[in-house]
This record gives sequence, C-alpha cells and structure tokens, in this order.
Amino acid sequence: MDALIVIFITGLIGLFVGMMKKPVLSLSISVLGLISAFILMLYYKSYESPFGNYNGLNFTPSGNIFALLVIGLTLLIVLSGFNYFKKDIEHTADYYGLILFSLCGALILIGFTNFFMFFLGLEIMSIPVYVLVGIRKQNTLSSEASIKYFFTGSFATGILLFGIALVYGASGTFDLNEISNSVSIWKEAPAMFHVGVLFILAAFLFKVGAVPFHFWSPDVYQGSTDAVMSYMATVVKIAALYSFVTLFGSVLGASGNIYTGILEIVIIASFFLGYVSALKQSNFKRLLAYSGISNTGFALLSVFTGDFGSLWIFLLGYTASTIALMTVSQAIEKIDSEDIKNWKGIGYKNPFIGVVVLISFLSLAGIPPLTGFFGKFLLLSGNYQNHLTLVILALISSVIGAFLYLRFVINVFAKESHAEKICIGPLHITVLIISTFVSIFGWTIILF
Amino acid sequence: MSPSVNNIGSSLDFFVIVAIALFVIGSYGVLTRKNMIVLLMCIELMLNSVNLLLVTFSKYYGTSDAQIFVFFIIVVAAAEATVGLSILIMAYRSNKSIDIELFNKLKD
Repeated sequence: MDALIVIFITGLIGLFVGMMKKPVLSLSISVLGLISAFILMLYYKSYESPFGNYNGLNFTPSGNIFALLVIGLTLLIVLSGFNYFKKDIEHTADYYGLILFSLCGALILIGFTNFFMFFLGLEIMSIPVYVLVGIRKQNTLSSEASIKYFFTGSFATGILLFGIALVYGASGTFDLNEISNSVSIWKEAPAMFHVGVLFILAAFLFKVGAVPFHFWSPDVYQGSTDAVMSYMATVVKIAALYSFVTLFGSVLGASGNIYTGILEIVIIASFFLGYVSALKQSNFKRLLAYSGISNTGFALLSVFTGDFGSLWIFLLGYTASTIALMTVSQAIEKIDSEDIKNWKGIGYKNPFIGVVVLISFLSLAGIPPLTGFFGKFLLLSGNYQNHLTLVILALISSVIGAFLYLRFVINVFAKESHAEKICIGPLHITVLIISTFVSIFGWTIILF
Repeated sequence: MSPSVNNIGSSLDFFVIVAIALFVIGSYGVLTRKNMIVLLMCIELMLNSVNLLLVTFSKYYGTSDAQIFVFFIIVVAAAEATVGLSILIMAYRSNKSIDIELFNKLKD
C-alpha cells in the first residue's frame, strides 16, 4: 500500500518536473520512486486500513511477490526506454507519468479483495496505456493501434461490468470472500451467476489476449513503441493474469466446472494458434505478440490449480526474455529492428547481443537449465493428473515454439558479412545483463 | 442467507429486462457501426445499462454499495470518453476520416 502511494506521488511529481524539459531528471525521479516502492513492498507487507474493517486492498504473500515482479519490470522498462523517450523531449515526462499511473492500477489489480477495487484497478491500468500506445501523434500506425486498443478495451470493460452486475445480482455483494461464502451455501448456483461469470471470463480473455479475443494484440503491439510494447506484454499481462487466477482459481471457480471446459478449449487454441501464426510473421513485434498469446495459454493453466508459485516462476522467465528481446530491439533500432530480415548476422558480429538473444529464446522455448523451463515444468506437473490431454498438447505446441525460436536464433548467428557492428548504450547493457541473469538463475528462487 | 434471484418480484423484472435490452443494443452497435463517435456512444450505452442494473439490484437488496459503484462507473466512463475523444481527434488528423473501416493498415 505504501508502495502504491509512493508510485502515485512519484508520477505526479514527475509530471510537474516534466515542465523543465530535462529528460535525465525525469528518469532519475521515476527510478528513485520505483526503487523506494520496491523496498517498501519488500519490508512493509501488511497494511491497516484507516477505514475500520473495510479492506479493499490486501496484499497476500503471493500478491506481494507479484507486486515486486511488476515494480521491478517497470524499472527495467523505464531504463531501457530512456534512449527513445529522450528524443521526444516534449513528452518524456508524459511517458514516465503515464507508465507510473498505469503501474498503480496494476498494483491495485494485484491486491484487490472486492469488485470495486478490481474494476478501478483495471481501468486505472488500462486508460493510461490507451494513451501510451498512441503517443506518437504523427504516426498513422500508432494512432490506428491506439484506436483499436481503445475500442476493444472499452468494449471489454462494458462486458466485464455487466458480468459484475449479474454476479452482484445473484449474490448481493461485491466482496470476494462473501461471494465465495454464498457460492458454498448454494446447492446450485442461479443461472444469473453463471452468466455473469461467463461475461467476466470473456472480458478477461480480452485483457490477457487469449484466443478468440487475441486479434487486437499483434496489431496494437506493432503500432506502439518498443518500451510501451514491452510494458503491455509484461506488466499488463501479469496483473491481468494474477487477477484472473485470483478470481477463477478460487472464488468463482468454486461455483462448479461450467467454465472449465471453455477454458480448456481457449487454452488449447491459444497454444497452437499463437505459435503457428508466429511462424509466418516477418515483423519482430508481431512474432513476439503471437508467441505471447501461446505463453498466455501456458499461464492460464495455473487457473486449474490456483497455484501462484508456478505462475510466478513461469511469468518471471517469460517476462525476463521479453524485456531482454525488446531491449535488444531498441538497441539495434537504427538498422530497423522491426523487420526480421535485418536481424540476420547481428549475433555473429556482436557476440554480446547474440548471447542475450540466444539465452532469451532458449528460455522462452523451455530448454532445461533456464528459468523458462522451470516455469513450464511446474505448470505442467501441477496439471498432469487432472488435465493430461492439455499437458500433452502443451508439449506438442512447445515443440512448434522451439522450432520457431531456434530458427530465429540460427538466423541471428548466420555468417553475414555486411552485418553492422553496433555499440550499445550503458542503460541498455544494464538492462540486458539483469534480464539475462534472471533468465539463467531466476529459477534458483524455488530453493528458498 | 442472502436471497436468491428466483425471488425477484415482477416489479424488478421490468428494470432487468430494460437493462439487458440496452446492453444488447449497445453491444450490437459496437459490433456493427462504422462511425467512431457512434461507437463511443454505444459503449456509453452499455455502461449505462450496467448502471441501471446495479441500481435495480441495490434497491432489491436494500444495500447502498451498488449505488456507490454506479458513481465510480460514471467517473470512469467520463475518463474513458475523454481519452477516447482525444484519440479520435488524433486519428482524424492523420486519416481525415472517422470511419473505423479505414483503419486497416495494421494486419498480417
């Protein structure tokens, strides 16, 4: 909670400081705020509400580690995006302010205990991102992406609210504990409740970008800048997935298994559609977006077990790789990193970039000693008793994924004589080292 | 034990049906209309149908928390409309049109 307040105030201060048009100052204020929020989150875990026993926000131990992950990722994104942001000197502070406000929403979405806070968190997280996507005002693609994201996002909000209203109509309360109490009292939940849960499910699939409702994500990712794209692919996705598992893993899931069959179909479709569509992409961001859809399918496996630990490890591996790849993409921006053809031979001429890309893609593919492997392993081993078919299909889709990633890595290491030698800025090197370190050693956190 | 939906009297049926009808009209509009301002209005209609539904249930249960939720929804809808209209103006400047069909440059 203190972390939330610190981040919000940092965002406000950052907006005012932005009037001085000093990018380095904006960066240092945001970094300072994020680091202090990280430390506060680490040490002040419990929070006493000043409003008596009304606890709209409560960070459970599992919520706490997700909040730490989200804050840390934002720190990396802010650092890696600086080289781009500082060129746009009029709007540097806007970038930082909007990212920090959106992070507030993500934190609320991790700590919510009732539908009030859940809805507010979701909106506080989404609305700044609508703006961030369209922040390159002169760019046609950027405004188109912004339009698409805004309309799909607010349509999803409407559906979500309708679902919340129906759940309220059936149970008479917004509080998650009371809802799960009344679910356990009912012999058979009323039809209105089930319809509400299905509406909420649909809205969630929109937000996390799982198949039937995935169509916006490649378009929106392509139209936004690299830093904003990595923010959407990591922080927004983590917060949405965490609240998904909170809601469906325990509270609404207790109502029966009406939604389980739907979720299974969604997950299987996400596995295959994501990787198979990614095979034919020539745009780097679209490739990452489609592989992100498949990874969302993997993360949704944790809904069946309600286990946050394995979800955390999996998301750690996925996000570390995504951040590393997007940072590389920003570092080699001048050779037009969006087109996959231009990546050819980069790793051959620049061994450091090559190694980072190699480790990130191996971790995404789930090759044993890396974090991505342990995430997938824990998710699948939690599910293999009850959902064996899902596990087998997940393994088959992983093979397609591994083919996709290794093909890219081979392309990066190709002997290409006219590939350029590129020098990377210190901020990018820091981010790359941290995220590669997490990709390699992140799984050791299981041992503690 | 909280009352279940089956007990809702006939007087409430009317409001629930109106709210559902409004929601369906709104979502149908979002899916079929081309003009982006009409799309914004349809989304607003969806949110307002939710408001009506929440107030109805709030009256039925005799609690006020859903009515407070309605104020939150109104505030958020205002914020969303603000952001949406400014995105729309930006898109209009780059494309000289607000027809959503013309925004089709991003695709596979």
